[in-house]
Amino acid sequence: MPEANGARSRPGTFARAWAKAVSGTSYLPMTQGQLEALLQRLTEQLATALCSEPFDLRVGHRVGAELVASHIASAEGLGRTVEVVQLRLVRDLGLVADDVEDRMARLLAAVATGYARALRDRTLDEQESIRRAAMTARAEAERALRASEARFRHQATHDPLTELPNRTLFTERLTAAITAPGRGAERIGLCFLDLDRFKVVNDSHGHQVGDALLVTVAERLRRAVDGHLLARLGGDEFVVLVERCAGTDDVVAVAEAALAAVRRPAVVDGHELAVSASIGIVERPVAGATPGDLMRAADSTLSWAKASGGARWALYDADRDRRELARQALSAAIPAALQRGEFYLDYQPLTSLRDGRLLGVEALVRWRHPELGVLRPDSFIGLAEETGLIVPLGGWVLAEACREAESWSAAGGRAPYVSVNLAVRQVHRPGLVQEVRRLLNSTGLPPERLQLEITESTMMSTAEEPVRALRVLADLGVRIAIDDFGTGYCNLAYLRDLPVTELKVAGEFVAGLRAPAVEPASCTDERILASLVSLAHALDLTVTAEGVETAGQAERLRAIGCDAGQGWHFGRPAPAERILERIG
Amino acid sequence: MVSRARGGQNTRAGDGARDGDARGEGMQRPDWAPETIDIERPSVARMYDYYLGGSHNFAVDRAAAQAMVAAVPEAPLMAQANRAFLRRAVQFLTESGVRQFLDIGSGIPTVGNVHEIAQRIAPESRVVYVDVDPVAVAHSREILDGNDRTAVVQEDLRHPERILAHPDVRGLLDLSEPVAVLIVAVLHFVSDDDRPAELLRTLRSALAPGSWLVLSQASADGREGDERAEAERVYRNTDNPLWIRSRAELTALFDGFQLVEPGVVWVPQWLPDSAESAEDAERAAFIGGVGRLGG
Repeated sequence: MPEANGARSRPGTFARAWAKAVSGTSYLPMTQGQLEALLQRLTEQLATALCSEPFDLRVGHRVGAELVASHIASAEGLGRTVEVVQLRLVRDLGLVADDVEDRMARLLAAVATGYARALRDRTLDEQESIRRAAMTARAEAERALRASEARFRHQATHDPLTELPNRTLFTERLTAAITAPGRGAERIGLCFLDLDRFKVVNDSHGHQVGDALLVTVAERLRRAVDGHLLARLGGDEFVVLVERCAGTDDVVAVAEAALAAVRRPAVVDGHELAVSASIGIVERPVAGATPGDLMRAADSTLSWAKASGGARWALYDADRDRRELARQALSAAIPAALQRGEFYLDYQPLTSLRDGRLLGVEALVRWRHPELGVLRPDSFIGLAEETGLIVPLGGWVLAEACREAESWSAAGGRAPYVSVNLAVRQVHRPGLVQEVRRLLNSTGLPPERLQLEITESTMMSTAEEPVRALRVLADLGVRIAIDDFGTGYCNLAYLRDLPVTELKVAGEFVAGLRAPAVEPASCTDERILASLVSLAHALDLTVTAEGVETAGQAERLRAIGCDAGQGWHFGRPAPAERILERIG
Repeated sequence: MVSRARGGQNTRAGDGARDGDARGEGMQRPDWAPETIDIERPSVARMYDYYLGGSHNFAVDRAAAQAMVAAVPEAPLMAQANRAFLRRAVQFLTESGVRQFLDIGSGIPTVGNVHEIAQRIAPESRVVYVDVDPVAVAHSREILDGNDRTAVVQEDLRHPERILAHPDVRGLLDLSEPVAVLIVAVLHFVSDDDRPAELLRTLRSALAPGSWLVLSQASADGREGDERAEAERVYRNTDNPLWIRSRAELTALFDGFQLVEPGVVWVPQWLPDSAESAEDAERAAFIGGVGRLGG
């Protein structure tokens, strides 16, 4: 057996035939030459086994296993191996052995056995490994999914600028704090914080500086309210949730810590920015609270702190809140009330102190509210001024007053003028002159029978337009009166520029005249009034005293030289016909 | 057609918004959101393993592979021919002195791994395997565990900038030295809309002079009509529509590289072990070539 001897011999005819037979049955990571060399080695092992004593079948097992290990590992690979060995091994190598056919059958059986075992093991191993890989990949994907969900959740519940919890998370936590079982007996507090004049920072330094300031403030607040949930609701609004508080003091302490933290000047991008904040505090039992009500109450309270000048906290006051809510409801009802004609005018006499003649009347608006009854102006004019509804309402009053006044005629002397209050917004609105002119034209009311009352504060603005408008009106012949003179911003300079006809002196000076003249306070008021009257007369203005309630007051005013009086002593506000009866 | 390479089931999800638009999917997935693993869909990587005689595959892969064989009986032969081309190319490159390999679309790295071939000749050779199929990647990591000259990165060929910037790529490969980039049996999953020339240009611009590019892909040349249509239909079911290219088209993709002899040819004809093994080369239905970056 020449070929069987040398272990490193070159591939013989048989090995090359074997190599050709198994080529392509599966992928073999080797060159044809390497394959032939491998099979040459196995050929020699098989040949040796066939001829050796004792006959060792384990060689067949090993050859089968080695074929699989070398990736000749397919059904076809085995079939062709059996075929080529059976047909050609003995012949090609010229092997001689006793009962060679018998041995060949047993040897091939051993090769097939070893091959099948190895292939089965390999298959199972590979299946296991790919399943493990799939499981690993799936676990990794799930982990990544959880991580991304956590990240998504974080993004959805946090403010990207400050990394603080956002409104969503805050609302969740607030709701949980209120609705979780067993919380009913606890108390809960909110500090609703807003920076004072933050818009100025944005406007003067740009949004980048504004954002950096917010980050700084957020960081300070985080440290100051450590232990409580701090959230940024948007803009410069932050909120702190104080759970399980013992009372108002706990929450006030948190608010003061927050205010102190914000108060230190912040250096942002080279700018030293003075910062302050306002806080609305709500503190109450959990039982009966709802997140929405708490937030709304805190928000309202914040506005009180702001309205008081900022840089402070304010504590929620349920009565005040109710009042404001009622006021807001009232305010919201004004436009519809105007449409439905729920407003009407009463008039109060302005009477000459010299001869008791009715000089004019002041128009006073009334609201016949369907549920609340007749409302006086002090319950809704302030609201209308805040909301801007004073413009349509004041317009209606002016028009109605002109319309009614035109029909008044005095039997004997002159018909009384009608005096109408103008709100700041009305005076500052372009188009006032046209409005008045149109009304005078449409109603036919002579201009000198219309008096417009403005307050001193109307003239506080430096705008020239209102002054010009009033001057045009005065040139038309319309009377201009300064209402509540002496109580507002008392800059007398406007008297120089304005075409004023009359000063109406506030009732509080007149009130002093009720006391006996010997009392020092009463004496002071009288002197003030006397000076005002002489000032007015020096400027060629008339003076009307408001709030005249007694004959004594009237007499003293007359003695001082005051021109006219208004008040209960001369007549309460009443419908036009009642007033006119007196001059009829 | 046949391929090792990219995972079938995740290319859609793996491509974020653009794929969503292109393929009419509704929701846009944020870039950082993970893919899902769906082993109920056939994976081209595991189908390829099946053709090579491996058992790293599932019933769904075998069913798809058998459907392919019904359409294209030579499919296993094609896979094997392609794998043999990879072996010869890596051997050629290692013997030419290349010690760094970036194998993009490496698939299930079973028999005939790049690192096995290269490290048998030059043990210091470093290989980064890149595949988009998470199962293939997990399997690769398991097989390569303990081989610190290899790394596995899960990424898509269509994001070469991400591959190049990946810390594992940067950590193992020195891009100031020549690198062999292997994109073997993958390009036919990259549509012309994905601008393969641009992807290759991005890769090329990061490579040092003396680097190499190995490309192979399914080719139209020589396959006609129903047979071709049927093969495309089968592969379309794996989420990976097939883009067959001609020899001229593949040659053009070597832009900037100098093709070594014999150029772009049927893969069995590329430096064959023997004249015999290059017979009937067109049956392999794969063309390929190797180029060198000058300078």
